[in-house]
Amino acid sequence: MLEKAIIGKKSISAGSLKWIRLNAFFLISAAFVQMLGNIGFINQYYIHILTVMGMNIILVASLNLLNGYLGEFALGHAGFMGIGAYSGALIAIYLGLPFFPRLFFSLAGAAIVSGVVAYIIGLITFKTVGDYLAVITLGFNMIIVNIIQNIDFVGGPRGLVGIPKSTNFFIVAVCLSFTYTVLRNLVYSNYGRLWISIRENLIASELMGVNIIRMKNLAFTIAASFAGLAGSLWAQYQQFINPKSFDYTKTTEILVMLYLGGTGSLSGSILGVVVYTITMEILRNLLEFNPRLVELRMVISPMILIVIMLTRQFGLMGKREWKWIQPEKEGN
Amino acid sequence: MEIIIQQLINAVQLGAVYALIALGYSMVYGIIRLINFAHGDIFMVGAFIGFLLAVKFKLPFVFILLLTMFLTALLGIAIERIAYHKLRNAHRMSLVITALGVGTFLENLVRLAVGPQTRQIPAQLSNNILHLTNGIVVTEDKLLIIGISIMLMIVLWLFVNKTLIGKAMRAVADNIDVVPLMGINVDMIVSVTFAIGSALAAAGGIFFGQSYSIEPYMGIDLGWKAFIAAVVGGIGSIEGAVVGSFILAGIEVFTVAYLSSNLKNGIAFALLIILLVIWPYGIMGKPSLKKV
Repeated sequence: MLEKAIIGKKSISAGSLKWIRLNAFFLISAAFVQMLGNIGFINQYYIHILTVMGMNIILVASLNLLNGYLGEFALGHAGFMGIGAYSGALIAIYLGLPFFPRLFFSLAGAAIVSGVVAYIIGLITFKTVGDYLAVITLGFNMIIVNIIQNIDFVGGPRGLVGIPKSTNFFIVAVCLSFTYTVLRNLVYSNYGRLWISIRENLIASELMGVNIIRMKNLAFTIAASFAGLAGSLWAQYQQFINPKSFDYTKTTEILVMLYLGGTGSLSGSILGVVVYTITMEILRNLLEFNPRLVELRMVISPMILIVIMLTRQFGLMGKREWKWIQPEKEGN
Repeated sequence: MEIIIQQLINAVQLGAVYALIALGYSMVYGIIRLINFAHGDIFMVGAFIGFLLAVKFKLPFVFILLLTMFLTALLGIAIERIAYHKLRNAHRMSLVITALGVGTFLENLVRLAVGPQTRQIPAQLSNNILHLTNGIVVTEDKLLIIGISIMLMIVLWLFVNKTLIGKAMRAVADNIDVVPLMGINVDMIVSVTFAIGSALAAAGGIFFGQSYSIEPYMGIDLGWKAFIAAVVGGIGSIEGAVVGSFILAGIEVFTVAYLSSNLKNGIAFALLIILLVIWPYGIMGKPSLKKV
């Protein structure tokens, strides 16, 4: 009995095996799509959309940990994406490593830097709750952008150029698979249950002995790390970053995709990003024949959001999950 | 010393605009616990209605102000009826995200209608320079803007505290579930709140347009700032929104004057965060006790 507890389960459970197979299948198809794109069989435009979707899913799913599972209303996610983008870009530019170590260190470094900054910010942030927390996280987002704008070494408001291109669709897919594995295991672990208990009833879970501030800060740090990872991917995909692209407009976009898909649901994060991106692209293509109408898409997309919110209050998925994301129930 | 007083006047003018927006945020929050993220864009729409009335119809200033406030109040009521009404008992976050959607919708609609370029509302007020004592100069329009804003705030305070509808508004803010039992029409009160909030924001938009150029996305920046001012003052409190707005404007104006305009947002928000850590419920806000 004790042995089993220390070593863990002797063989991989059926649920984990299914998850591993699923991820392997996803990565192989991603590699295949990337190859077809490289030889020009698939239009680069589609590859680009898939890549952007992948990065946005990482952002949205990580914010979901905070706004969905923990139930707080944090408004500063783009700030941590910015920290990750800048630290990842600096590592990639100045360390002078060959391709794979460069990619690894810039991604890992970005996640660590964002996580550490978030941990320190979280020590202050979680003294407050509710709308005050929203303001403080928003304030930190603005401060982060403002600080970056005032550092001349990274280009200030002009932005940082000359970042080597290391990200492609396949790399994003690998990071996405990693993110989802970590998030899914967290959400269905004891930590996830603690977060949900805080969301459902803070006072009751405090009475049960949950260290509220520590748990909240943990979620905040993890979410920010993944935002940093996505930022680093973004920087090395665009090869150019600019502080303005990490301000509250980006935060709002992430929020919209998150709530469109539904909070507290990892499937919802995927669905929200996919539906939002595809809708925007379809509207762009439909209205292409008249340049005046292309502008109309910016009016139609918020209308779609409002209609979805009026008809489905919890977003498209709202606390439900696709079956393949859920682990097998114990005893099955 | 002169410079400080001069900057103080600028701060009061900016603070008055922030306060007019922040009041709407605070009142709506007080009534239905909604952070109305579309409020900054209602302010922007108000500024553009004022711009159209001034350019196309060349009305005198008083009519522009009153007509804009009226039209924007109607817009506020319409937004509440169409987008928020059905979600009043829903999860709070779906209401917030709807508000974000309404905001984006208004921004892009105005951009589609008038184009993305910045515009200037033609000066409606005389900008004669008045020389006060000690070499302090102030233009007449600044004084007028500050004066009208403060008058509007006093009228609002009297309305909320001395009239029957104001009493009903305070009752709804206190407990929205019990109020219908007392025979108060909650829907009507919510509509009145949105109308007042939007009208004040429209006035703020016109005053803002007298000194700065306007563009369709300006509501985002000013809206967030007014929101922060409202929260720092203690969201839900009218006096708090005014105090928070003047503090924020003061910090901004003096940072630009004495440090650097690049640091404006950073320092303003850093100080606001410090204020919130000291007073977690805002300066004038009441701590909400949780009952188990």
